[in-house]
Amino acid sequence: MTPGVLLSLAAVGWVVGIASGRWFSRIWLGFTLAGAAAGLGAAVMVLFGGMDWEWRSSVAVGGEPIHLHLDALSALFLALLCGVGGAGAMYARGYWSEEHYPASAPRGRAWWSALLSSMGLVLLSANGLHFLIGWELFTVSAFFLVTLDRQNPEVRAAGWLYLAASHVGTVCLFAFFCTLAARTGSWDLGPMREQVGLAPLFWAALAGFSVKAGVFPLHVWLPSAHANAPSHVSSILSGVAIKMGVYGIVRFSGWLPVPAAAGWVLIGLGATSALLGIAFAFAQSDFKRLLAYCSVENVGVILVGVGGALIAAAHGDEPWGRLALAGALLHVWNHGAFKALLFLGAGSVLHATGTREMSKLGGLWRSMPWTAGLFALGSLAVSGLPPLNGFISEWLVYLGLFEAALGKGPAAWAAIPAAIMLAMAGALAMASFAKAGAMIFLGSPRSHFAAAAHECGLGMRVPMLALAGVCVLMGLAPVLFWPAVARAVGSWHPAWVAAPAPDSMATLGSVHLGFGILVLAGAAWLWRMALGNGLRRGLTWDCGYAAPVARMQYTSSSFGGIVSGWFRWVLQPERKMHRPRGPFPAGALRLERVPETVLERVIGPVGVAILHVSTSVRRLQHGRLQYYILYVVAGLIALGVLVSMGGVP
Amino acid sequence: MSGGTLNLLIGLAMGLNLLALGSSRLPSLIRSMSLQGVVLGLMPLLMEPERLDWRVVAVALATMAGKGIVIPWLLRRAMRAANIERELQPFLGYVPSLLLGAGGTIAAVALAQALPLLPEHAGTLLVPGAIASMLTGFILLIGRAKAISQVCGYLILENGIYLFGLLLIHSTPLLLESGILLDVTVGVFVTGIIVDRIQRAFDSLDTRKLTTLRE
Repeated sequence: MTPGVLLSLAAVGWVVGIASGRWFSRIWLGFTLAGAAAGLGAAVMVLFGGMDWEWRSSVAVGGEPIHLHLDALSALFLALLCGVGGAGAMYARGYWSEEHYPASAPRGRAWWSALLSSMGLVLLSANGLHFLIGWELFTVSAFFLVTLDRQNPEVRAAGWLYLAASHVGTVCLFAFFCTLAARTGSWDLGPMREQVGLAPLFWAALAGFSVKAGVFPLHVWLPSAHANAPSHVSSILSGVAIKMGVYGIVRFSGWLPVPAAAGWVLIGLGATSALLGIAFAFAQSDFKRLLAYCSVENVGVILVGVGGALIAAAHGDEPWGRLALAGALLHVWNHGAFKALLFLGAGSVLHATGTREMSKLGGLWRSMPWTAGLFALGSLAVSGLPPLNGFISEWLVYLGLFEAALGKGPAAWAAIPAAIMLAMAGALAMASFAKAGAMIFLGSPRSHFAAAAHECGLGMRVPMLALAGVCVLMGLAPVLFWPAVARAVGSWHPAWVAAPAPDSMATLGSVHLGFGILVLAGAAWLWRMALGNGLRRGLTWDCGYAAPVARMQYTSSSFGGIVSGWFRWVLQPERKMHRPRGPFPAGALRLERVPETVLERVIGPVGVAILHVSTSVRRLQHGRLQYYILYVVAGLIALGVLVSMGGVP
Repeated sequence: MSGGTLNLLIGLAMGLNLLALGSSRLPSLIRSMSLQGVVLGLMPLLMEPERLDWRVVAVALATMAGKGIVIPWLLRRAMRAANIERELQPFLGYVPSLLLGAGGTIAAVALAQALPLLPEHAGTLLVPGAIASMLTGFILLIGRAKAISQVCGYLILENGIYLFGLLLIHSTPLLLESGILLDVTVGVFVTGIIVDRIQRAFDSLDTRKLTTLRE
C-alpha cells in the first residue's frame, strides 16, 4: 500500500459518498468513513514513514496538467480533516437525522462528502489553478452545509455573510495566484524561496487566507456562521475549515520568500486575535457563539507560533523557532480535536433542549451526564490545563517565546508582549469555559427547555468519545506525535529537519500520566466517600430569601459582567436598563447584548455609506434620453479639454 | 474651385443650423434640415472640380437624393401619422437654443483656428462648420422633447460628421460613404415606424414619457 493507493481509495469513498448521500444513508456513512480511514492512512504513512508522495499526470484540467503533492505539512492537515470528517459524519446520522429533517438530511450528507473531498483537493493540489478550484468548491460546499436549515432567516443571513466574506478572501487569493503565475511563468507550486522578488505577494496570500482562518478583525463571518450552522457542520468549520486558512499561511510562508515584516505582523495579528477573540467569547450568552469566538482565540495562538517561527527563520534562531512552529502545528491538531468535541457536545445540548441561550439552561449534568462529562473534558483541554492536549501545544509555543525572550535578540521585543497577551487569553479562556460549563450543566434548570432535556443517543456519543480519546492520548503521550510534527516542521523549513523531541516533552508526558492517575484516584475516593456517607440535598445558599427560584441564579452576563467591563472599549455592549425604584418597585429590566463590533460598528456603516453613494449615483439613470445625450456631450467636451491640456498624448 | 463658393455654402449651412434651432414648427425644421443636406451634397462637386471622378459624383448625387428627398419624405409621413405639427414644450426654449447655437458657432470658429490643420484646409470654414453643425445637432437632441425633432437633431449632427468626412473624401472608399448614407436612411425609416408605435402606445410623442421604460 502506498499513499497514492490510499488516497485514490479515499477519493473513491468520498465520491461514492457524494453520489449515494441523497438516498442511502448507511452506504453513505460506510463509504465516507472508509474514505476518511484511507485518507488518514495515507497521512500517517507520509507523517511517520518519512517519504513525501507526489504524482504528476499528463491529463490536463482547465489547461493545466494535474500535479498532486502530499508532504508532511499537508498530511498533518489531511489527518485532521479525515479525523474530524469521520467523527462528524457518524454524529450527523444521529443529530441531523431523516426523521427530524426529512428535506435537508439527504442534502446534508451529500454536501458533507463534497466538503471533505474539496478540502482534500486543496491540501493535495500543487498547482495554483487547481488550488483555486478546490478552494472555491470547498467554500461553496461549506455554504450549503451552513444553510442546511434554510427556512430560518437567521441561518440564511449567516450563510450569505459567510459567502460574501469568503469571496472577499478568494479575490485576494485570485490576485495572489495569478500574480504568482505571471511572475514565475507557471501555475506549478513548490518551494521557490530563492526568488526574492516574490516576497510582497505574501501580503495578498495573508489577507486571503486570514479571512478563512478567522483572524481578528477579518473574523466577521465566523461567529454567526458557526452559531447558526448545524453543530456537526460547526465542528468541521471550526475544527478543519478555518485551519485551511492556517494551512495556506503556513504553506506559502514556507514555499515562498516572505517580507521582513511578515513574522512581526503575524505575531501581532495572532496575539490580538487571541486576546480579543476570547474577550468576545467571554461576553457571549449563546454557547455556540462563545465556542466560535474561542476559535478566533485559538487561531491567534497558532499564528503567534507561526509568526515566531518566521522571525526565528529570518534571524537564524533555529531552536526556538522550531519549538514555536511545532507548538503551532500541534495546536492545529489539538484545537481541531477539542473544538470539534465541544461543538458536538454543544450540538447534543441543542438537540436536547432546542435553545442556544445559556441563560435558559442549567442543571443538565443530571439528565445528560455523558455530554456534561465530555464537554467538561473539552473545556479543560481548550483552557490549556494539564493533563490534556491543549496544554502541550500551548506549552510548546510558550517555550519558544520564552527562549526567544531569553535570547535578548530583537525577537524578544515580539516574544515578551505576545507571551503576556497569550497568558491573559489563556486565563480568559478558562473563565469563559467555567462560565459555559457552569451555566449549561450546573445549578438547576432555568427554564422548561432545560428541564425536559435528555441524553443523546449512542450514535452521537461514540464520535464524541473518540475525539475525547484523542485529546487524552495527545495529552498523556505527546512524544508519540512529535515525529509527525517534526517532519511537518522540516517540510516547512528544509534546514529544520529531523529534530529530536525536547527532553522536557517526555517528562511532561509522564507527569501528565501521573497527574491523570492522581486525579482519577482522587475522584474515585471522593465518589466512595460520597456513597459511603450518603448524600444530603439542600439549597445552595438562600441569602434570606423565603422562596428562592431558579431564576435567581447567576446568568451568563452577570457571570461575565466584570470582564466585559474591562473590554467595554472593544465589546461596545448595548444596554437597556430600568432600575427598580421606590420601596415597592413595579418592575425592573436589564437587557444586554454584545454586538459583533467589527461587523456592526465598522463594516456595517461603511457598507451603508457605499450603498448610499451608489444609490445617489443611480439617480443618474432616470430614463430621460435628453440627459443621456447631455452626458455624452459633457464627456466628449471633458475629453477634448483633457487632450488640449496635454493630459493625454 | 474657389474657396469663396465653398465658404459661402458652409456659411449657408451654418445659417440653416440657426434656423433649425429657432423654428418651433416641425415642417420648417425638416425643411431646413433637408436643405442643409442638399447644400452639403453639392459641396464635393465644387471642392476640387479638377479631380472630379465618378465616385465623387455618385456620392454627391446619392447624398442629395437621400437627405433632400427620401429622408424628409419619411419624416413628413411619420409626422402625419403621429398627427403633430409643433414642438410644444421644448426642454430648452427657442431663444436660449439660438443663443447657445450662435455661441457654439463662434466657439467653433475660434477652436478651428487653434487646431493644427493641414494648410489646404486652414483657409476654409469646413472644420468650424462641421463642429458648429455637430453642436447644433446635440443642442436639438438635448433640448427637444418630440421624437421627430430629435431625429432632425440627429441628422444635423450627422451632417456635421459628413462635413468632417469631406476633408478625406478622396481617401474614403465609396463603400464606406454609401454605407453611412444607407445607415442614416434606414435609421430614419425605423424611427418613422417607432414614432408611429410610440404615438399609439403612449398617445404622445413626448420622449420624456419614455422614462417608465428605464429599467
